Amino acid sequence: MNMSEATREVYWNVPYHNLIYVFLAPTLVIMLWGFYRRFRLWKAGKPALRTDRLGERVDLFIRNALGQARTMRNTYAAVFHTGLYLGFIVLVIATTVVAIHADTPLKIMQGPFYLFFQSLIVDFFGLFVMFAVLMAWYRRGRLKPAKLVYTDEANILLGLIFVIAFTGFLIEGWRIVVTEDPWGLWSPVGYVFGIASAKVMSTEAMTMAHRGSWWLHMAVSFGFIAYAPFTKMAHVVFSPLNIFTANLDGYGASLKDIDFEKAERFGINSLPDFTWKDLLDLDACTECGRCTAVCPANTVGKELSPRDIILDLQKLMHDSSDELLEIAAKRQKGELEPPKDGEPPPIPIIRDDHAVNKEALFQCTTCAACMEACPVFIEQLPKIVDARRFLVMEEADFPEGMMNVVTSMEQRQHPFPGTQFTRTDWADGLELDILADMADPKEAEVLFWVGCGGALVERNRSTVRATAKLLKKAGVKFAILGREESCTGDPARRIGNEFLFEMLAKGNVETLNGYGVKQIVTSCPHCFNTFANEYPQFGGHYEVSHHSQYLRDLVEGGRLQPVHEDHRHVTYHDPCYLGRHNGEYEAPRKVVAASSRTDIVEMPKSGRDSFCCGGGGGMMYVDEPPDKRVNQERAQQAIDTGADVVAVACPFCATMLEDGVGARKGDRNVSVIDVAEMLLASVGDEEAPVAGESSAG
Amino acid sequence: MNILVCIKQILDPDLPARDFKIDAANKEADPKGANKVTNIFCENALETALQLREKAGGGKVTAITYGPEGAEDSLRKALAMTVDEAVLVINDKHSKPDAIAVGKVLAAAARKLGDFDLVMVGRESGDWGLGQTGGVLAEELGLPSLAFVDEVDPDGDGLKLQRQTDNGSEVATVKPPALVLITNNENNVPRIPKTRDVMMSYRKPLQKLTLEELGVADEAVGDGHTAFEVTNLYVPEKSVSCEFVQGDSLDEKVTELARRIHGIVASVN
Ligand code: SF4
Ligand code: SF4
Repeated sequence: MNMSEATREVYWNVPYHNLIYVFLAPTLVIMLWGFYRRFRLWKAGKPALRTDRLGERVDLFIRNALGQARTMRNTYAAVFHTGLYLGFIVLVIATTVVAIHADTPLKIMQGPFYLFFQSLIVDFFGLFVMFAVLMAWYRRGRLKPAKLVYTDEANILLGLIFVIAFTGFLIEGWRIVVTEDPWGLWSPVGYVFGIASAKVMSTEAMTMAHRGSWWLHMAVSFGFIAYAPFTKMAHVVFSPLNIFTANLDGYGASLKDIDFEKAERFGINSLPDFTWKDLLDLDACTECGRCTAVCPANTVGKELSPRDIILDLQKLMHDSSDELLEIAAKRQKGELEPPKDGEPPPIPIIRDDHAVNKEALFQCTTCAACMEACPVFIEQLPKIVDARRFLVMEEADFPEGMMNVVTSMEQRQHPFPGTQFTRTDWADGLELDILADMADPKEAEVLFWVGCGGALVERNRSTVRATAKLLKKAGVKFAILGREESCTGDPARRIGNEFLFEMLAKGNVETLNGYGVKQIVTSCPHCFNTFANEYPQFGGHYEVSHHSQYLRDLVEGGRLQPVHEDHRHVTYHDPCYLGRHNGEYEAPRKVVAASSRTDIVEMPKSGRDSFCCGGGGGMMYVDEPPDKRVNQERAQQAIDTGADVVAVACPFCATMLEDGVGARKGDRNVSVIDVAEMLLASVGDEEAPVAGESSAG
Repeated sequence: MNILVCIKQILDPDLPARDFKIDAANKEADPKGANKVTNIFCENALETALQLREKAGGGKVTAITYGPEGAEDSLRKALAMTVDEAVLVINDKHSKPDAIAVGKVLAAAARKLGDFDLVMVGRESGDWGLGQTGGVLAEELGLPSLAFVDEVDPDGDGLKLQRQTDNGSEVATVKPPALVLITNNENNVPRIPKTRDVMMSYRKPLQKLTLEELGVADEAVGDGHTAFEVTNLYVPEKSVSCEFVQGDSLDEKVTELARRIHGIVASVN
């Protein structure tokens, strides 16, 4: 047998096979109509620029759409999804090859290509697909993880896929056996099917069954193609599109600006007020539930579920498509009436019977775990903040704890009503330079931005004091703003009071630019995020580092020499706004490593997958039910590592975790210590005992 | 229903103790570096007035203050809470007007601004805490007044007033015009303004009046003509001393302790 002549008879035993083209045409029309129907809805959204920076987009697309990088993070899903995904691609190629070979002059289905790809590889993937369907079914039927959405649709889709693969093998097997295909062994799975049937079926029976199954295979395949865009299978197209148009700037830069002069409504409580990208997000959801599974609020039993927020909005979009299109058409013609006072907006999104309800919206810690978990780059968090903005700015309807904070930020420029500390108490005796009092403020190379959480909260004054001492020891020429410092506005922005955030941001930028500040070290990751990602749009461009980064550099540059090595076991908690929001996981770990004699004992949820302390997004100021406290959940995870020290790098985390550890540690001795405090103890602090010999906690 | 709410801007009572300084020469709290806020009972009065306007299905609420130019901030906040009009009677020369002076000025302004059905005043201010302005103002305007009111409801062509007492509440009715001194309860927590109202508050007109325009002579309300004088103002010195009662046995110690307590009690009485 000459391998280069290997091929097979196409459309064997199938008279009138050309009819498939007759059926294919309407199938494709239905499919395209299905996709267009959705596309039309997204177009009803407001504009958003998501087609710039093509190079980066292509890169993201290759890694995450083609490469499925995020899907791979869950091993079980990675296996069966790869089966379905690659199987789908391979089988589509194979089918196309058949069509080209049979109905065009190009005879490509021959020789080694036929044997290796069209027979062997295709057979392998066909089997992989069936195996994948069984795995998916097993997960749905037996493992039943809570994160999934249990619909009939999902089972129907899996069933169709299984039938397609299975009938494929049947017709292949019968053809091999009946035609005595000399290359049959190259299609091992079909071959086995064929041999097995030959034991119980006559040649005539197999020929008959082949013909019937061939048409069944085609009918189910076409049905699947036409049905797909109307189901979650549409993600095959929408998810890659969504990845391509994702936010490229990181989670820390994902909230939208508001033009207060022009905006008709502040925040969003009307579906047509979303951008087209927001609406595309809704359709791109694969219902995988990973977002909800990692959501800290959901984990401790609260109502918030980012998955359901996306899916409920998706359903709303489909259910109100006519109205949505009508509004979009009016808007395009400039005929859309501005909203009247007191009138409910069209297609309201905040509904008591929906995942997008007032209660759930104000449970979000803005930790971005949902966005990091989403395999298709859906942006849940900005939508939550959009809706919060509406409730806060248009309705003034939000939790009391957050109201007090907002009022305090308005009146006192800090979010800690009732604090008995001033902005400079913590620095007593350190004789730090204050910009306003310096003859030449430019002499200060670095501004140490202390932050409200550092200066005004008892627990954290020792952290900012430690940082200042370390900067002094290293001979850094730095100054503070003292009384002129005011909140960066982060809590206001996450709570949803964008207006207040803007006022504070503009004020701060004016102060900083007035002194010609170039370089800033912040103690708080929230301040860090605001400077790095949010102030540039107000004209504030600074080189900003978090204290962990700056201290790491001082240690690595030899300007600080840690000597006393702490012997206690340390675990490190990644703050959301340093880690996930800004991608800094290493610097604080390096500072810990420099201060400690033992290796960090990592929590199972760390780095990119870190679990929020519960304090972000204004949640620090809200009373949580005693049995649903995010900080205690996280404290437990830290305690469970067996560590003696929970290292932190954020004043919010320090406060929340100290509280949580206090509640959960029992008679263990566990302390919550900032990396700056650890480093100071290890470099040597004249004011304090040596680390490891004290028993804080 | 035409309502006048008198408000006062004071130093932030939430000021950290370390930031609270006394200006000994002027015998007043040093305002440098401290925030100014609207007195909380005045905000309760604003809230009660706004709720009354809603309950009455309409009406006008005017906020007024007698203070320096900077007191405009408190009026803007009142506008953000959606009062209809705001009036600032400018005080640019009298450093420490007392309740009688303030009452006279506000009365003159109230007469000039028109007929009010109800004048509302906070129970007392968070700075000096004298609680007299409302009474003086009622006297000046010749209005019946009631203090410690925490709820006002329309009642036919009159008003129903709920008043807090030591062991519950009393209800009174009054035919306008009248004056009430408002205290706080859980229903008149000042509302958080909506952002659009905050923005609008800066665009709304704000009427400014001078003492001359009100026809109030400086002598009547000025420095040196006040009814009382602050002779000294200081932050109380706190001193803590600790002493261990001595004795050879527990019995002796206890006896000694009891003797000492007796002595202290006797000296206080
Ligand atoms: S940002 Fe965090 S808290 Fe908010 S929905 Fe996402 S995972 Fe949950
Ligand atoms: S939003 Fe993303 S992570 Fe959440 S269910 Fe949908 S696809 Fe999965």
